[in-house]
Amino acid sequence: MTSLWKFDSPRHRQSKTGYWFVLPYAVFFGGFVAYPLIFSFVLLFHRWNVVTPMEWIGLKNFERLFSDPLFFKAIINTLKFLLIHIPLQMVVALGLAVLLNSKLKCRGFFRAVFFLPVVVSGVVVTILWQQLYAFDSGLLNRMLSAVGIGRVPWLIDPDMAMLSIALMATWKNVGIYIILFLVGLQDVPRELYESASIDGATRARQFFRITLPMLRPTFVVVVVLSTIGGFSLFVEPYVLTGGGPMESTLSAVLYIYNQAFYFNHMGYAATLGFVFALIILGVVLLQRKVIETEPTT
Amino acid sequence: MKATAKYLALGLGAIVFAYPFLWMITSSLKPEADIGGFGLWSTHFTLSNYAQVFERIPLGRAFLNSIIVSLSSTVSVIVFGSMVGYALARLQFKGRGALYAVVVFTMTLPFQITLIPQYILMVKLGITDTYLALVAPTLMTAFSIILFRQFFIYIPQALIDAARIDGCSELRILFRVIWPLSRPVVITVSLLTFMSSWNEVLWPLIVVRNRSLMTMPQLVTLFTIGGEAESLLGLQLAAATLLALPIIIAYSFFQRYFIESMASAGIKG
Amino acid sequence: MSRGIVRSIMLVISVCTLLWWTGCSNQKSPQGSGSGEVVELTYWPAPNPQEMQLADTLVRRWNRTHPGIQVRMQSIPVSQSTEEVLLAAIAGKTTPDVCSNIWPGALHEYTRAGGLIALDQFSDFDSIALARTPHDLLEPFRSENGRFYQIPWKTNPVMMFYNVRMFEEVGITKAPRTYSEFFAAAKKLTRDLDGDGQTDVWAGERDIRPIWWQRLFDFYPFYIAASGGKTLFKAGEPDFNDEDAKSVFMFFQECYMENYFPHTYFQGGDPFLLEKKATHFAGPWEVATLHSLAPHIRFDVAPLPVPDRHTGPVYTYGDYKNIGVFGTTKHPHEAWEFVKYLMLAEHDLLLLTITNQVPVRGDLLTNHLFSEYFRQNPKMVRFAEQAISTRGVDAAPDLKEILDAISQVYESCAVYGKVTPAEAVDGAFRRTQMIVKWNK
Repeated sequence: MTSLWKFDSPRHRQSKTGYWFVLPYAVFFGGFVAYPLIFSFVLLFHRWNVVTPMEWIGLKNFERLFSDPLFFKAIINTLKFLLIHIPLQMVVALGLAVLLNSKLKCRGFFRAVFFLPVVVSGVVVTILWQQLYAFDSGLLNRMLSAVGIGRVPWLIDPDMAMLSIALMATWKNVGIYIILFLVGLQDVPRELYESASIDGATRARQFFRITLPMLRPTFVVVVVLSTIGGFSLFVEPYVLTGGGPMESTLSAVLYIYNQAFYFNHMGYAATLGFVFALIILGVVLLQRKVIETEPTT
Repeated sequence: MKATAKYLALGLGAIVFAYPFLWMITSSLKPEADIGGFGLWSTHFTLSNYAQVFERIPLGRAFLNSIIVSLSSTVSVIVFGSMVGYALARLQFKGRGALYAVVVFTMTLPFQITLIPQYILMVKLGITDTYLALVAPTLMTAFSIILFRQFFIYIPQALIDAARIDGCSELRILFRVIWPLSRPVVITVSLLTFMSSWNEVLWPLIVVRNRSLMTMPQLVTLFTIGGEAESLLGLQLAAATLLALPIIIAYSFFQRYFIESMASAGIKG
Repeated sequence: MSRGIVRSIMLVISVCTLLWWTGCSNQKSPQGSGSGEVVELTYWPAPNPQEMQLADTLVRRWNRTHPGIQVRMQSIPVSQSTEEVLLAAIAGKTTPDVCSNIWPGALHEYTRAGGLIALDQFSDFDSIALARTPHDLLEPFRSENGRFYQIPWKTNPVMMFYNVRMFEEVGITKAPRTYSEFFAAAKKLTRDLDGDGQTDVWAGERDIRPIWWQRLFDFYPFYIAASGGKTLFKAGEPDFNDEDAKSVFMFFQECYMENYFPHTYFQGGDPFLLEKKATHFAGPWEVATLHSLAPHIRFDVAPLPVPDRHTGPVYTYGDYKNIGVFGTTKHPHEAWEFVKYLMLAEHDLLLLTITNQVPVRGDLLTNHLFSEYFRQNPKMVRFAEQAISTRGVDAAPDLKEILDAISQVYESCAVYGKVTPAEAVDGAFRRTQMIVKWNK
């Protein structure tokens, strides 16, 4: 008891300083998190084009949303993107990470090169790939024609455009995941491999029985990070395709952007954002549950 | 044999990742008619694409805007972020646990939900088309607070106690004692914040319409998709190169930090 | 060069006419401002150079003859669309007294925001409006509540330009009137000139990107033509789920399917100017553009093709720009006087001469005042003839998004051929219903 009394004065000082230290954040939180959150609830029930007064319209935004084919299309497009992007990313990243993790000269060089697209702006990457993907004169089609495969309608075929965007996104982001897998691989205890070798397990067997299970935490991080990243897909379709052809690359964020800033439907855009956020939370929680509860070998 | 295959695979990978950038940079230096091919060399290298880009859009101003925006956001994030992180890690006050929960909650909140209301807040405050609107939502990030807190927790209490006994204020302890010990996390947060701020496109597109306030990626985006580049490849590639260059240069100097930052951020996230 | 001279002579003539007229009218007006107070009005014309020049001329004359009512001309910032600027101005209560660049498609937004006053409150509205504009052309601009918040001023009918040389080369001397005639001509017109297996000239071309306002130059005017003058709405409800809409999609689907129209985005300039396409759907401003940028091209203008079963006159979309008076005005009567002044026959002649846009009046081809202009500009006669058979856009909420919905089905049905015309019409119609319902 006495010791507590003795420390009371500095405690008191600490608690006062504590409040001072978190005050800027409290203000920021109020302005840029709490207020927008509350306001987004208000917007859900209004029609508003920013310049004229808000109009209360009850549940009409939701009514519209559930009968809006473009909303569903945008969700499906985004999920399609994720379904191509995430597995592709994991395979490529893990493959390159395993290669980098072996005895190697110039590891630093390779690592740096694979990471390069990560640091460069998405706008740059998109402009660059627009040229690579161009149908008549693009670099890729020239190469494919030269080896006799012929031209591929990368961005102009509605069935193909999202795949092309996913390919590009993988190229841009895979560097992050290579690094994450590398860190994961280095955490695998050497002894596990040594004892497995003594037992006569082949390299492939070791990979499936030791490496993959030990990387489980990394997989969780990779899947969750790329899901959240994938759900914010915007710049790539905005610059590359404008959402076309035939709305096949209209991502959820692009649709929200269009509704808000092209058609001036702030209330409806907020509703789209709200429902979309719920879907993201749902998907992420589901993923965590699935990956985390899988039995460990 | 196996080693050769390994190097072959990695070499191929390196070409896939680096060649497009090399092609972009060299093509931006070629006259329009030469750009078609996939070779890098040209007999008539020229700077005319760059001259034209600068003639058509105020890229110098945009560069300055981007620097202002990214630097202020970075400085704010590390100063305020470390203050909150320190308070959460080392100061006793009522509601600390609740605050930490709030910060974590903020991090899980998808930006899609607050995007429109944040824009409307800017409109209501009457600050669209200002620097303030560009930086305001990025002045603090939950992510940096958590990163700082995580790091500060492992700093020995003895150091802090010693400073307190010497009569240092908590602010002084943070910046004079803790910061020098926390170089890795300060660098990580700075790099990540600077990079994401530098590369951000969506928010500037929303709050800035005035060309003299546009950031570099925004201006380049609008230059490419609005008709101004007149579908001239050379101009688009030159604009893209100019946008990429500052980050590529920074990356070539601080490569190790970039990669380590991403790794630690990814793992803690 | 000679055109320039002709134009300046015309200008001098019209200015003289004007001076003579205003000299006359000076005696009876201005009325109502006898107290000595000078009334000030602001006027926003469209921000293009020709209309600014016209507005400048008209405002100077007015101010000289109306010392009691002084008009100040303001230009709308070019960087933004008139609709954006006006909406912002309505919200900020900074609207002008008079604006002559009211696009009927945005009227709903303006009136919803309480921006415009009803013009039929002025006792002479009917006589003034009907003296200039036939009843049939005026009626579509009546708002749902029966009032007139706008008065039609000018219209730019969308018609088919065609390259006479290219048509003659394949042995066609008459412009195609029906879809079948168009396809027959298109088959011959679309050619590979140098024998490399790639098509070099097309029968026509449209921007394949789904941009909403592009539909004002293909689907929408073709629909008005096919349906004999129907627009998308009837009594505030969407009303285009019909055979005519399907036949229009069928037409464009065939144009793309048979490769009469290219599937790629055309780079390197306007293909009609470059003589890469034989037909082009545009308004009268294109006449001046062609004369100045490509004087060597021999072209003519014809009504839009219609379904084979079509009878009667061929209607089309006319890009109307109307005049409105804003609720912020302190002097509605003076503003109305200025509106009437803008629409006088002499000033309509100036409108034709300076801007090559067509005033919405019934006597363009019978009033001798205009005969000299049409003698000098024979191609404009086609537009004057067409002008009486034009429809504007409906004053429906979110017209931009409705046209965007049509653009999407246009892309999937016509350009890519992935859905049938019936599905296309149905899809666009249902989305339109959803948008309208949401706006109620």
